[in-house]
Amino acid sequence: MKRYIDFYLSSMRISILQQFQYRVANYFYMIGMIAEPVIYLVVWSTIANQQGGVAGGYTPGEFAAYYIVWTLVRNMNIVFTPYGWEWRIRQGNLSMELMRPMHPIHNDIAYFSGWKFVVIILWLPLALFLSWVFKPTFDITWMEGIAFFIAIWGAYLIRTMLLSLLGMITFWTTRVSAIFELYFGLELILSGRLVPMTLMPQWVQNLSNYLPFKWTFFFPIETLVGTMFIQELVAGIGTQILWIVIGASILNLVWRAAIKQFSAVGG
Amino acid sequence: MNPFKLAWTYFRIGMMNELQYRVNFFIQLLQSAIALTTGLIGLSLVFGQVNNLAGWSRAELLAVMGVHLLMGGVIRSAIQPNMERLMDDVLNGTLDFALTKPADAQALVSIREFRFWQLTDVLVGLVVIGVAVAQLQVRMEVLQVLAFIAALIMGAIMLYCVWLMVTSIAFWVIRVNDIVNLFEGLYAAGRWPVGVYPDWLRTGLTFLVPVAFAVTVPAEAMTNRLTPETMLFAAGLTLMFVVLARGVWLIGLRSYSGASA
Amino acid sequence: MSSVITISQLSKHYQVPEREGGLKAAITSLFNRKYRTVKAVNSITFNIEPGEVVGFLGPNGAGKTTTLKMLSGLLHPTSGDVRVLGYEPFRRSYDYLRQITLVMGNRNQLTWDLPALDSFDLQRAVYGIPVDEFKRTRDEFIDLLELKDLVNKPVRNLSLGERMKMEIVAALLHKPKVLFLDEPTLGLDVTMQRRIRVFIAEYNRRNNATVLLTSHYMADVEALCKRVIVIHHGRILFDGDLSNLVNQFSAYKTLSVTLQNPDTELSQYGEVLSKDDGRVTLRVPKAQTSQVTAKLLSDLQVDDLTVEDAPVDDIIDQVFSQKEEA
Repeated sequence: MKRYIDFYLSSMRISILQQFQYRVANYFYMIGMIAEPVIYLVVWSTIANQQGGVAGGYTPGEFAAYYIVWTLVRNMNIVFTPYGWEWRIRQGNLSMELMRPMHPIHNDIAYFSGWKFVVIILWLPLALFLSWVFKPTFDITWMEGIAFFIAIWGAYLIRTMLLSLLGMITFWTTRVSAIFELYFGLELILSGRLVPMTLMPQWVQNLSNYLPFKWTFFFPIETLVGTMFIQELVAGIGTQILWIVIGASILNLVWRAAIKQFSAVGG
Repeated sequence: MNPFKLAWTYFRIGMMNELQYRVNFFIQLLQSAIALTTGLIGLSLVFGQVNNLAGWSRAELLAVMGVHLLMGGVIRSAIQPNMERLMDDVLNGTLDFALTKPADAQALVSIREFRFWQLTDVLVGLVVIGVAVAQLQVRMEVLQVLAFIAALIMGAIMLYCVWLMVTSIAFWVIRVNDIVNLFEGLYAAGRWPVGVYPDWLRTGLTFLVPVAFAVTVPAEAMTNRLTPETMLFAAGLTLMFVVLARGVWLIGLRSYSGASA
Repeated sequence: MSSVITISQLSKHYQVPEREGGLKAAITSLFNRKYRTVKAVNSITFNIEPGEVVGFLGPNGAGKTTTLKMLSGLLHPTSGDVRVLGYEPFRRSYDYLRQITLVMGNRNQLTWDLPALDSFDLQRAVYGIPVDEFKRTRDEFIDLLELKDLVNKPVRNLSLGERMKMEIVAALLHKPKVLFLDEPTLGLDVTMQRRIRVFIAEYNRRNNATVLLTSHYMADVEALCKRVIVIHHGRILFDGDLSNLVNQFSAYKTLSVTLQNPDTELSQYGEVLSKDDGRVTLRVPKAQTSQVTAKLLSDLQVDDLTVEDAPVDDIIDQVFSQKEEA
């Protein structure tokens, strides 16, 4: 355990040092990324205003709050992508990672969580700018703040599990981009990334309760933006933990099969 | 060498190369379909709440979406691949091969790559535009069609110019992926008419990244919104972008040969 | 003492889809694929004792890298037994991985944008090396390879050779008992190659580590390895002392002659390999060497004459071409 903590800290340190060197690139990436929620925000604020100030229960100020928090949650949700898996298997980098007496997923998790620290520092001025332009309305309690802090890391871990699973398909077939895109399409609709889930038809909302996507976008955002009872907060974080455990278990099984496949056909 | 002839040759080579991999066509078609579906879901969510958005009806917004898909296909098949290759060449020092050919270097680096299967987006875009026109229940006059095509071409040229300018000067600060990501992010704004955006953003989308002219103006041509003044303005702006891009390209080229010497 | 590496009748076969040219074949192959078996490694057997440095030789595609990958646990053997330090490598037990290392000349694991020191520290954490021990080993290696001024520079600013030296430091920080080195000097200049050779020899001496090394450069093998294993088409052709390889396979010696009259035709004495500045190199069957030498000296005005074993490179070439014909 001590070794793992030591490893996580070392790997996070490396990623902070490295990503800070790429701060300009990181900034450009973030500006490109922020375009997406700004578009949603503008469209939905327009709709809310056209309808006399509310759409689907959200005022323009609440939409602003939703999509500004969205930008932080989206940053937290950046993990090693399936395309990255494809790349590292094809390039043979995975071979070197397999020589370490440690599961490669630890390095992915540690590296990307280190990156978050750089990202959050860069994100702050953008968030201030967006708040100044779009005037969000917030009403945050201490409890919600703490829950949000836990929920974004929960979201990070769930999405790590999901995208790693998706990436491992590459062990068996190389024509994977369509599968990846299908996944991202589903995620867009069912996670609260496109619009708050409460704007979706009831049956979509019901469906999303039984899928992991919503716990990576809508739930963390709502802890801060919506009003939730403590029971809801605890239940939500509990569900996140459940999905992390489920994801990790499946990942473990698939990983074993993947390594078997990998060591049969050549690294 | 005649750049158009050269472009045609590269186009043919790229096409023949990709025709070998037919599976990619279906994969690409599937991806276009996914993009279309999420777009349609977005539209239906909006029109579940209201019956027009900033004065645009559902059918009109469908037309905007069609143009957006079509232009996206043009970018991804013809513009972006060339610019990505250019960035790679600059980073690896292999641009020399292009510079030593007896043709205008700017023309050459802009036509070397062509991704044929990305044209599925153009196809899907055309279908969507067709459906939108049918729903609009207007008869398009010849002049209108011509204006639409002219607006599309000018839009594509402007987008190309912006890509080229960013590629020419920014390759040494920014990773290739980040530029692609930035453009995709900003281009996504074109899915909606630029009229819905606040002034500062609309200005940016008009002059910095001319998504407004690439998508909204052609869509205006289809929906009887286009004024001759806008067309004239677009033509002037296109000319300005072309001249500016040429200048920036030459500056970038000078600093490239300076760095490699 | 028992062997560090035992391999017995080890094989690795791949199923490779057969591809015929043409669109029609490409489409039918989507539904009904034909496979062909490639025997990358075909029933090889050898042992390596503790502290040995063994050169693993063979042309590209002979099965060297496949064998190294089976030894380091990246590939699962099709059949046969393989044991290293008492472990079956393909089980990838972490206790095993902690005791070995694999260096590939064309792969790197250092963080590109940061000084190598940072990557070293990550290795420390990965292998759980106690800090004192880590610092001692690291500084010892840095000293031996003369890297002191370079460890604070970002890796991207280092030359290929400097990067390789860093790579080797990173790969050995956990003091592995067994080293698998796949072309560790690939693409490096002669000085760099020598420096790395000396370092590997020194590591082997100080730690009594076992080394299995492949290299295209015979100089590496001659300097480091007493024993060589030659593999070709997945089978072992030779396993024994390097000097025996020379004796066994070299049917020829090389004579270098400088004549007073450089235009003399020498083809009647042996096969002329080269001719420059009046110096002629001849290849002569080993059994006739003394006979030919005597004849040359008596027939012609000879300024200088030397007799040498054929270079190991040539011998290896010969070994492969002989087997090819057989």
